[in-house]
Amino acid sequence: MDTIIQSILAVAPAFTAYYLTALGHGFFEKSGVLNLAIDGVFYLSVAVAYASAVYMGNPYIAILISALTASIFGILLAFIVTKLPISHGAAGLSLMFLGYGLGALIGNPAVFRFREIKMINIEFSINIPRTPLTNVALFTVSLVACLVLLYILKGTKLGAAIRASGEDPHAASVLGIDVLKIRLLAGTIGYALIGIGAAIFELVWLPTWQQMHGMGHGWIAFAISLSSGRHPVLTMLTSTAFATLLTYQYLLQAAYNLSPEIAKMTPFIAAIAAMTIFMVTPLRKKLSPPLSLGKIFFKEERTL
Amino acid sequence: MRVTVVRRVKPLPLGNVLIPSLSIIIGVLLASLVLYLLMNIPPSQFFTYIGEGFVSLETLRDFILLTILGTALIISFKGAVWNIGAEGQIAMGMLAAAYVALFTNLSSSPVLGKIMMVVLALILGGAWGLIAGILKAYLSIDEVASTLIMNYVAYYILNYLVRGPWKGKHTYGYIRTDLIPESVYFSTLPIRGITITYEEILLLVITLVFAYILLYKTALGVRIRILGSNPEALKAAGVNVKLLTITLLAISGAISGMVGAAQLAGYLHRISYPIETHTPYLGYTAILVAWLSMLDLRAVPIIAFIIGSLNQAGRLLQIAGVGGIAVTYLFIGTILVTFTILRVFSEYRIKLIRG
Repeated sequence: MDTIIQSILAVAPAFTAYYLTALGHGFFEKSGVLNLAIDGVFYLSVAVAYASAVYMGNPYIAILISALTASIFGILLAFIVTKLPISHGAAGLSLMFLGYGLGALIGNPAVFRFREIKMINIEFSINIPRTPLTNVALFTVSLVACLVLLYILKGTKLGAAIRASGEDPHAASVLGIDVLKIRLLAGTIGYALIGIGAAIFELVWLPTWQQMHGMGHGWIAFAISLSSGRHPVLTMLTSTAFATLLTYQYLLQAAYNLSPEIAKMTPFIAAIAAMTIFMVTPLRKKLSPPLSLGKIFFKEERTL
Repeated sequence: MRVTVVRRVKPLPLGNVLIPSLSIIIGVLLASLVLYLLMNIPPSQFFTYIGEGFVSLETLRDFILLTILGTALIISFKGAVWNIGAEGQIAMGMLAAAYVALFTNLSSSPVLGKIMMVVLALILGGAWGLIAGILKAYLSIDEVASTLIMNYVAYYILNYLVRGPWKGKHTYGYIRTDLIPESVYFSTLPIRGITITYEEILLLVITLVFAYILLYKTALGVRIRILGSNPEALKAAGVNVKLLTITLLAISGAISGMVGAAQLAGYLHRISYPIETHTPYLGYTAILVAWLSMLDLRAVPIIAFIIGSLNQAGRLLQIAGVGGIAVTYLFIGTILVTFTILRVFSEYRIKLIRG
């Protein structure tokens, strides 16, 4: 029994990292902004979390700094695609590359600092210890985040405004919703969650750094969010499935000769399969992407 | 006083030249500022490396491959079909070429072997694009998301093969395939310091001629261009827009796949694990080339050369100890962000209104 509980708890770091990231991503996209900056900003946040933990010596402050950094990118993306007639894809990918570049430049020097500190203090570590208590806390945080976002989306005026901005921003704007304000808010909250997810990835799940560390995991979260139609509760299910698969990828290889490559590939294939299913079945009504996702929202003449 | 964005009556004169040039200049300046602030690299050193990049012979290979890829992407971008999946299509092309070279008898005949490597790479790269095309045409699944996701699927298929069934016998403990037979290596130009091959030059010429004829001399080309500007008119005229979309992604994917074969036979000569850290991310860099060229075929080689030089500058910095791919990403990012914002002003202008 103990081993079962322990092996479930061991999934917590990966689960929380992917879940919070996917949750934040889905929340932001509900407001109609196609979020292709996710992997770049995830990578940058991983680097920022690592560097802050090294320089400040406190992983909890590192989570906060990581969330703030990510939020700045969320605000930036929401602002330029709502204020200017700019392609969401172009803006998102540009910020993605910027995130990759900045992340590597922030993470690389911190490695040297880490080694210097290690020379003096052999005990020094950047990670939050993976005790059962940490794992329970991580699950709790995820659950709370899920309930809060579910409540915001389904039970509040703000949530209705976010969904309206995603479905038809022009109509929403006529009805008196300030689409820019709503998207800025969704971007801030969504990206704060992405930043926290990235920090947990770095400080709890895989506490190390080399160039490229964390790259691609933002896309896994992206795929997890797509496979669940951006629904907070369903995202929990897909996150559990893929986090388990990826946590135990090497064990699965040993036991069932399942290649880790197949494990890594699964979320991406599932995302494409899920998108297909959502488009051809009645699930379309509930889980298809927001109607105006990625559409340019621009009125011919407007105040900047 | 209000600041407003207003559509121009006519696009900004010379905007097609002005905006990319300004983006590159401002982007490089921003990148040098970041490098100075974060890494304490004096801008003079960065600019020296960029200068060296422009005259370095090694830039030529990036120039050729980026021109081919930029052209491949432009064909689909012209029709407003955003193929972000060149990276995965390259990987699939590399897989196809490696299969021909390592596991068939074709490699015993150099000419036939090389031709089959390229042909199979075209087919597999094209098929990879075709899947995204079908998803877009029949299920309206956004091709940006699907092509991006499929890049990772392609990486992992290749990684699976290299770790598993394709792992070489003579690899000194590295996880990689055996070298492909020397008979199918592309032939390097006999000039010291040059790493480009006759075959790559040939592929470049064929691609450019093909793209020019396709876009400007055929009815299909006219349709592609209308698809980009006014798809409704095209539907009204009875053109099968679904088929057109699929064709575009397939062509674009096929040419990208061919670049995978060229990389393998030209200089990699084997596939190493993990593939995503052993290729120079040309599939992503090519997006920058295609966008900065303002979808003008004539501008592609020029932009490819500039971006290739910047890439080379990044590699030179890596030798100096900073991490090449990081710098490459940094300037791709700063140039693209600048460009994305500046491009608005070719069709819109900022106007001050009193009151």
